[in-house]
Amino acid sequence: MSDVQVSIGKTALAVPARPISNRLGFSPAWQQLAKWCGVVALFLTYAPLVWLALMSVSEKPLSGMPFPLSFEHYRALAEEPRWVDPFLSSVLIGLLVALVCVVIATAVGRAIPNSRRPGALVLFAVIPLFVPGMAMGAALFIFLRTVLDLKLGYWAVFIGHLVWALPFSLLMVLVIAVRFDYRLLEAAEDLGASAWRRFWDIEFPILRPGIIGAGLFGFLLSFNEILRSTFLRGTDATMPVWNWTMAASQQSQVPIIFSLATIVLLVTLPLLGGFFWLLFVRLERS
Amino acid sequence: MGILVKGCAVSLDTLNTKVPTGDSRPLAKDFEMRENNNGVTSKTGRKDRQRSQAESPLDEAIPPMLNIENVQHNYGDVQALRGVSLTAAKGEFLTILGESGSGKTTLLRIISGLEQPTAVDRIEIDGVDVAQLPAAQRNCTTVFQNYALFPHMSVRENVEYGLSVRGIGSDERERRALEALDLVRLDGKSERGIGQLSGGERQRVALARALVTQPAILLLDEPLGALDEKLRQQMQEELVVLHRQLGMTFIYITHSQEEALTMSDRIVLMSQGQIVQAGTPETLFDRPNSQFSADFMGFENILTGTLQSFKEPYAEVSLGGKSVKGVWTGKTLPEIGQAILVAFRSERVKIGDSIDTSKACNTLPCTAGDRLYRGKYVDQTAETEFGPVRARIWDRSQQLSDFKQISWRFDDCVVLT
Repeated sequence: MSDVQVSIGKTALAVPARPISNRLGFSPAWQQLAKWCGVVALFLTYAPLVWLALMSVSEKPLSGMPFPLSFEHYRALAEEPRWVDPFLSSVLIGLLVALVCVVIATAVGRAIPNSRRPGALVLFAVIPLFVPGMAMGAALFIFLRTVLDLKLGYWAVFIGHLVWALPFSLLMVLVIAVRFDYRLLEAAEDLGASAWRRFWDIEFPILRPGIIGAGLFGFLLSFNEILRSTFLRGTDATMPVWNWTMAASQQSQVPIIFSLATIVLLVTLPLLGGFFWLLFVRLERS
Repeated sequence: MGILVKGCAVSLDTLNTKVPTGDSRPLAKDFEMRENNNGVTSKTGRKDRQRSQAESPLDEAIPPMLNIENVQHNYGDVQALRGVSLTAAKGEFLTILGESGSGKTTLLRIISGLEQPTAVDRIEIDGVDVAQLPAAQRNCTTVFQNYALFPHMSVRENVEYGLSVRGIGSDERERRALEALDLVRLDGKSERGIGQLSGGERQRVALARALVTQPAILLLDEPLGALDEKLRQQMQEELVVLHRQLGMTFIYITHSQEEALTMSDRIVLMSQGQIVQAGTPETLFDRPNSQFSADFMGFENILTGTLQSFKEPYAEVSLGGKSVKGVWTGKTLPEIGQAILVAFRSERVKIGDSIDTSKACNTLPCTAGDRLYRGKYVDQTAETEFGPVRARIWDRSQQLSDFKQISWRFDDCVVLT
């Protein structure tokens, strides 16, 4: 700073101000630190996934050595029929949770910014995020069985997943909905659009990234859920529950789980990647 | 005379009086016409404006395009509109002028149907009672102050939207949208996204989007407010040309007296939810009928005196014994000897001792006061015994110091209460 002031005092040919990178907070040291933090975080995220995929084609995965390679576990997986039911249940419950999340989150999410006290409502709606899954599972377990007289099983799991995923989905919609300019709807109305066309042509397309995000989160959170499911499943099993039971009880089943997890990864990751690309890159550009 | 387009019928009767060739045209033809004989059009246009001013406010034979009687609107305890009645003739360029909070935007929203008034005796658009109709079913469109363009649609899709909700087929839609874009000189940008446009271009898209459905009334809510000065002046001229070509009724909201004076056939000045004065730009500019109007229209010099005598149209006012004369424009003449105001514009004040003080002029002795350099002109204050009077001097050769007298014509002076 001082050299700049001096130069103003002396002459019009001012010494150029220091480049941004020289200022505190943008020094090379900070940038290096940021870079390495990022690298470590990414490594910790992706390396285990790659290792998992590698181990799923290893002959003796529990030995910790990838070689020699073998597709033996995939063959075993194909011959093992017991994982199919839990897998299909998980997919079905996930899809249903996603659908219901989308509908509720959209309806509530577009209403909250117009309500009298949006802050309080949002807070009230997202507090369940911070309720430990254990507590929520136990609470639902008691509540569904004794108060609603519901039999434990897939429907109870569905309700548990819905309660878990809904606040996330709502947040996804809200992030977009709070920025929505309601004057656009007035403009559409002014141009002659009916209430339905105003929603379908204007509001829905603009909220769409949030709505799709709500669905994705609903599905993924449900598909992954295990804590609440263990309380609510009764005798039914979802895939995470089945995986966990297998891993816990029968060592010999673990390699199959590696293969199964790898297949799920290989299907979902590209699918999600493509989805997000479609959503945020291609649609934004058009 | 009128053209029928699928989905919306628009009568363009007024086009006959506005365009010498006399036939009604679709938007694009008009545009070509402007390109080809710009000079001719503007000449006839001006003549026409003078004519309509002479006949203003309304030609009784033609039913008004807009007719509002006694509209009242409250926001909670705040009275936004207190019994406003307004008419607009077919093809008129009507400007509603007022400062923010005067109720002008509320009035516009009530016309468009986006706001339901607390009470109203009658709202008619093109002879149709629309008091109970929602905005979507009224034959008028709005150019919004913030443009309100749909960010997820291209320029063309934005313009097409009004046609799309009317169920018009895509070919027809595209043709008409491109025509409208042509009209606002945005041809070639139809496939752009809204984010790729400058402020001025967005303004034009908003205009095209509102025009393309050919509404009976086009409502413009301070559309030029966000543009820089040069662009604003350019758009003012273009709006006037566009209005003349389309023969559509324009109702234009602004807080800028310059915009109002430049474009309007008639100006309605609003304050605190009421219409203060209505008339031609000349009337508003030179013959304000209240202290508020005078102040709002930029009468810098308002002096207080007592009424001395009145002889149509002039009132003679005593300023501490010194008599000045001006045109009486106020509403109710007070008794002789009662307090009254004298108002005159700074640009109509002459300074200097050698000026011809013939009988048609008021004069006041003074001494030279502060001087403010404003670039195009100089604001010179003259200290009189009745307070400072400001003179706006455009002539750079004018001697600015050591003058002992100011003068202004009787006809440039208004007397009001």
